[in-house]
Order: sequence, then C-alpha cells, then structure tokens
Amino acid sequence: MEATETEGATPAQPSLGCCCQRRGLLEAALGLAVGLSALPAAAEDAAQGPAVMPPQVGDQFVFLTGDKKGQVVRVEDLAVGGPQMQAWPFDPKTKTARDQNRLNLVMLLRFDPSDLSGDTKANSDQGVLAYSGVCTHEGCPVNMWMKDLQFLFCSCHGSQYDPKAGAEVQAGPAPRPLPALPVKVEDGVPVVAGQFSGRVGSKIS
Amino acid sequence: MHRLLSTTALAFGLLAAGSTLPAFAIDNYSPVTDARLANPEPQNWLMTRGRYQGWSYSDLDQINTGNVKGLVPVWSISTGVDSGHEAPPIVNNGIMFVATPYSQVMALNAATGELLWRYKRKLPEGFSALHNTSRGIALYGDKVYLPALDATLVALDAKTGKVAWESKVEDWKTGYYMTAAPLIVKGKVMVGVAGGEFGIRGFVAAFDADSGKPAWKTFTVPEPGQPGSETWQKADTWKHGGGSTWQSGNYDPDSNTVYWGVGNGSPWFGDQRPGDNLYTASTLALDPETGKMKNYFQYHQNDSWDWDEMNAPTIIDYQKDGQTVKGLVKPARNGYLYWLQRGQDGTISFDHAQPYVKQNVFKSVDPKTGRPDVDPDHKPGTGKEATFCPSLWGGKDWPYESYNPKTGMMYIPSNDNHCGHLNGRVQEYVAGQWWTGVDIPEIGFTVDKNASSYGEIQAFDVATGKKNWSALYPKSMMWGSVLSTAGNLVFAGGTNDREFRAYDARTGDQLWQFKTNSGIIAPPSTFSVDGVQYVAVESGWGIDAAGQQALISNLLGWPKDVPQGGVVWVFAVQK
Repeated sequence: MEATETEGATPAQPSLGCCCQRRGLLEAALGLAVGLSALPAAAEDAAQGPAVMPPQVGDQFVFLTGDKKGQVVRVEDLAVGGPQMQAWPFDPKTKTARDQNRLNLVMLLRFDPSDLSGDTKANSDQGVLAYSGVCTHEGCPVNMWMKDLQFLFCSCHGSQYDPKAGAEVQAGPAPRPLPALPVKVEDGVPVVAGQFSGRVGSKIS
Repeated sequence: MHRLLSTTALAFGLLAAGSTLPAFAIDNYSPVTDARLANPEPQNWLMTRGRYQGWSYSDLDQINTGNVKGLVPVWSISTGVDSGHEAPPIVNNGIMFVATPYSQVMALNAATGELLWRYKRKLPEGFSALHNTSRGIALYGDKVYLPALDATLVALDAKTGKVAWESKVEDWKTGYYMTAAPLIVKGKVMVGVAGGEFGIRGFVAAFDADSGKPAWKTFTVPEPGQPGSETWQKADTWKHGGGSTWQSGNYDPDSNTVYWGVGNGSPWFGDQRPGDNLYTASTLALDPETGKMKNYFQYHQNDSWDWDEMNAPTIIDYQKDGQTVKGLVKPARNGYLYWLQRGQDGTISFDHAQPYVKQNVFKSVDPKTGRPDVDPDHKPGTGKEATFCPSLWGGKDWPYESYNPKTGMMYIPSNDNHCGHLNGRVQEYVAGQWWTGVDIPEIGFTVDKNASSYGEIQAFDVATGKKNWSALYPKSMMWGSVLSTAGNLVFAGGTNDREFRAYDARTGDQLWQFKTNSGIIAPPSTFSVDGVQYVAVESGWGIDAAGQQALISNLLGWPKDVPQGGVVWVFAVQK
C-alpha cells in the first residue's frame, strides 16, 4: 500500500511520499485547477521531515556503503579519478541523513580539476563533483563504474554517463544527463552549494 | 457489449491506485470459475499457458496448415509504452485482457480491438526495477489480477477496470518486484517475486481472491531449523539467498499439486554460500490451499551460473516402455531437457535427462537422482574466472515451450552456441541495489562465430526424446514463446527481424510470416469469437533480448537495436 493508493483522494495529505510530479500529471488528466493540491512542493517536503526533503544548500554527505558507511564524506575519502561513492545528503543541523527518499541518492566523485569540462568545473570545488545517483532512464541506481573509460554505469540497463563532462549520456537508453548537484568544500568537507541542475529521476516514477 | 460508466465511477477509477481510462464498462461478463479453469473452453485463452498443465496449446483448428497462408492482421493497438512486452493476450468470451510493461492492463473487444478500459498503475516515488515488464494477468470470478511491479497484488473489476483491492506482497525498496502472472486455484491467487539480482529471499505467496487477504507464504530459501537449511552451510547466507519465483506455476488438478520454479542463488557465486542451497534452481511441489511443500527437485546444486530454473515443468503424461508415465517435462535453463515423474502425493522423481544445447558444465547426470557431476573448471567463483556454456541466458530462458498432444511433440525455443565467463568478487549488500558479485560491465559473453545458427525452435518427440525437426535462425537468437494448435501449427516470434511465424507442427516447414512493428518476445495466444478463430500477440522488444542483442552486435555485427514500443496484433484468415 504505497503512496499510490490514497494519493489524490486526499491531495494535501502530508504523510505520503513526495508525489508532486505525479500529482501534476493527475491534475492534468483530470483537468483540475491547480488550487486543489494546495501544498507547494517545498512545504510538502518540509512537512515530511528532513529525511525526505531533497538536498539543501549547506548539506554535507554521508556514505551509503563501505567502511565509513554513515560517516560524513571528506574530500580525502574520494579517490582521484573515480570510482563514484554513493551517498546521502546529510543535514548537519538536525544530524539527519536524507535517506527516506530514493530520489535523494547522490554520487560523489573527485578528479583533477583540469580534467573537467567548463560547466562541470563550475559545479565542482577542488575537483569534487556530485550527481544524482538515479538513472534518468528508469530510475535505477547508477552504482557501477567503467574504469577504463571513467564512465558511470547504470546497474539496470547499461546507460553510461561521463562525469567529467556534465554526466552527458555516452551510451545506453538514458534520455538525458544525470542532474548535477553543485558542491563546494568547507574545511575539507564537500557540501551542497545549490539545487539539482535538472529533474531527478525517470519517467516512470 | 459496453456502456458508458457513470461520472462517479470514472472519478473513482482515476483516484484509486492508478488510473483507469477510458469510460466503458463491460456487460454480460462471464465469471471465471474453478471448473472453467480446470477445463477451459477451446474458444478462450483463460490463463498464461492456456491451461493449468502449461501446454501453451489450443484445441482450435479453424486456422490450420491448409489456410494459414491467408492469415492477415484484423486489428492492432499501440500499447503506448516501451520496454519488453512479455504478456499473452488473455481472452474470456470475447473480452481480451492484456498486460503491458509498467504495470498496465488493457481490456479490449477481442474481435474488433475496441478499447474498453485501461488501468495504469502509478508507481511509487523513486521506484525502479531491473525489468519493467509484465508476464501477464490472471482471471478469476469477476476480477483481473495484476501483480504490479512495486510488489503489490492489484485486483481489478473485470467489467470496469476499477481497483477492487490491493494487497502489499513485499517491500519494493528491498529489491523485490513482481512480473509473473498469478496462478489461481480454488480461490487462492498465487504470486511469485523477482529480485534475484538484488539479494532477495524468494517465496511464493497466496492471497484470497475475494478479499486480498494473505493466505500463505512459502519461502524458497529455508531459515535455520527448517528442512533444507542444512544446505546453507555458511551463517546468514540464507537471508539474501535468492531463489526468486518470477514465472507462474503449473497445476495438476488430479493430485491438487502446484509446480512452481525457483531461480538462481544469490549472489551468483556459489562459493559465497557453500552448500546445495535448497531450493534454488528447483521445482517445488506445493499444496495450493496451504502452501505446504510436498516435495522438490533441484536441477543443479550451488548455482554459480545464474541459471534460474524459474519455469515450472510442463505436466504431460508420456509413454515409456509401453506404459503411461505421469510426467513433468522441462527444458531447463542449464541446457538439459528433463523428464521427471510426478507422484499422486506430490513427489517428484527423476526419470532421465539429455542436453538440448551445447553444455560443458555437467560431466554427467546421475541416472538415479538426476544430480549433475559438475566440472569445476567450468564453475566460476570468487576470484576464479571460468567459462561455461550455455551462458547465463541458458539453453532456454523464460520463454515458454509448447506441448502438442496431437503430434506428441514439445516445441522448445532455445539458444545455442553461446557461452559466458564470470569472475566473482564480494560485493557489499545494499538493500534494493544490484548484488550478484559481479558488475554488469564485467559479465562475459561469447558466441561461436563459426556456428551456422544461434536461435532455434527444437521439436522433440516427448516419448522418445528424438529431435524431429528444428527451425534454425542463423542471424538471431530466439526469445519468443511458442504456441501450438490442433490445426497442426506452431506460432512464434522471438527473432530480431520482427517476424511472427507459423510452422507446420509435424515437419517444421515455415508456412507463414508477418513483419511486426518490433521484435516479439511475448507468448502468442489463440481464441475464437462468433465462430472465427484469431491469433494474437504483443510485439515489443526489450529487456534481456535487447541486452543480449547489443552484446552480439559487437561480436557478430548484427544490428545493434531492434525498435522498441509495443503493439498488440490480432490475426485471422482472410475470407
């Protein structure tokens, strides 16, 4: 009984998962006025608590896997040249990992800054980059790494992204790049410096 | 045939779990009973394999070897979605129900193609699945049962498409998802789960058809203390031991036994979970009313090749030494064709087996028990690379074989002359993420470049095991389920050239072909309405067929892409 069951029946129900996009589609299908779903996205996320909210400026990151699982990521934890590390945004004020929404999954990477393309460099600091970890094809975790090419590889259908060049699609069925999450480094710790550069997730969810 | 729904009903359909469009309802719907499922009328195709025994065979013979050349499309409809279409058109007295990828169902007038209603599930925020397909719906009473991708069983009103109830089967966030058509016996809706690449612990579960309340749940991997747990020798490996159940079972009404197949062990490399690992790569014999396991047969122990044995064996009574044997016949993914005997008490005993494709892993198969003697040189492990044939896609993957009682032959969609090589490592388990012990870019796949063919339909005489004929595909693998009919016809798609073909069931002569929109990996079905026989199939390439095609394009220069996007085709003989 996921959010789908009652979504729409009680549109402002705050305890449901963040369904803003799908609600919009539903409204379009029904031809309903926007006012029916009164709660704006940001307020809805906030009402659900920090673990569900999307990354916020100033967030740190915590490891999803590995020996340092749950610990705050530091620049020196990231190997130059990859592979990516899966992580959750972490609210340092409430000490909360934003791990209750799969769309918050991000990947951190580190490269020599001179290897990065212009736009990509602008979103990075000290060569550290963050992207959405959710494939733009069908929403699977982009958790594999092609060492020779230094490409990110999706674990479901093989989409390949070049992290040094804006995560543009290099092969596979993904329709668009992975959204970038701008980062800056504060006291050796990567933190969120802006919003995702595009819509996170796929067409199906 | 239909009438407009009321505005209220339409609104409910949209606001419940998913949306239902457009606004037609079906009058005079014929409820599906136990008696009808046990003896389905020839004009109908009430379940995935046509009948409980899993024959994928129809008694209809209006379309036959004499007139199949006149087969033409009479209607088609776009499904509007991509990905692999793997569901058969299910037909109940003139109403067709067909599932598509992304957990959607269309109800159509089977003779005219008019869309009566359509259910589109809204998948949860952040949801993803390895395979966004559906292998079909099931009918019972006045409901349509859809196993939704987000591990939820959805019951729809067959007349309107409205949601009657939903029942959560498992937590999709931990890697479970559902694609297999349910099997319904005596009011129990049985479902299996996918997720063998995500470290799930498999099970078959049953729900009450009326209420959706859970009835029973039988795990395919035992916990400590349960029978079979001694075959999981390393602590805690059972917890994520795999044993997915992603194909529907078959049912023997005579002994009241359900046969359900079990998939690969998890992770893929057996040395990480020492022991035989019951009941992975097995067929289970289950009591449909309680879920109690009556017996099992394991095809290979300590699976290390991703050889799921998720397809249930076909229930056939075959002849041996002048006697009729109550049998189970199964072309296994491991490349062997098995003849098993089924006891009235649910026991499964080994009769004999023979390879039907090139297989280099089994040095022999014990003639009494069926246990293979595995060549360690062809068994991959952790830090141990090994080559094995057939590759992880097996001699036959999930597509269904057909048994034709008129010819006594089984028609097996198979793939030959391909091998895999794997080298495992220990991966950290993350709930809901890929966990096989190898990343996809490192999965090795080779073909024999000198082979004259790869895909094939093999026609075996079930009594003798002799191959009577085969249809060979020199430039394609074979990913299509087979349908055979009393008209002495075999229908199948499955090739990368988008063709739908008909063969003479007795000789293998190709009698007809039609180029569809995409490649066909779905099972064809056949039915009749008002005395006219039709053949129907979804065409919509994707999933493993597409992934394998991409790999082979690099090896053999075959086209890299087969167009995707689904269409339901319905054919009849031109008058």
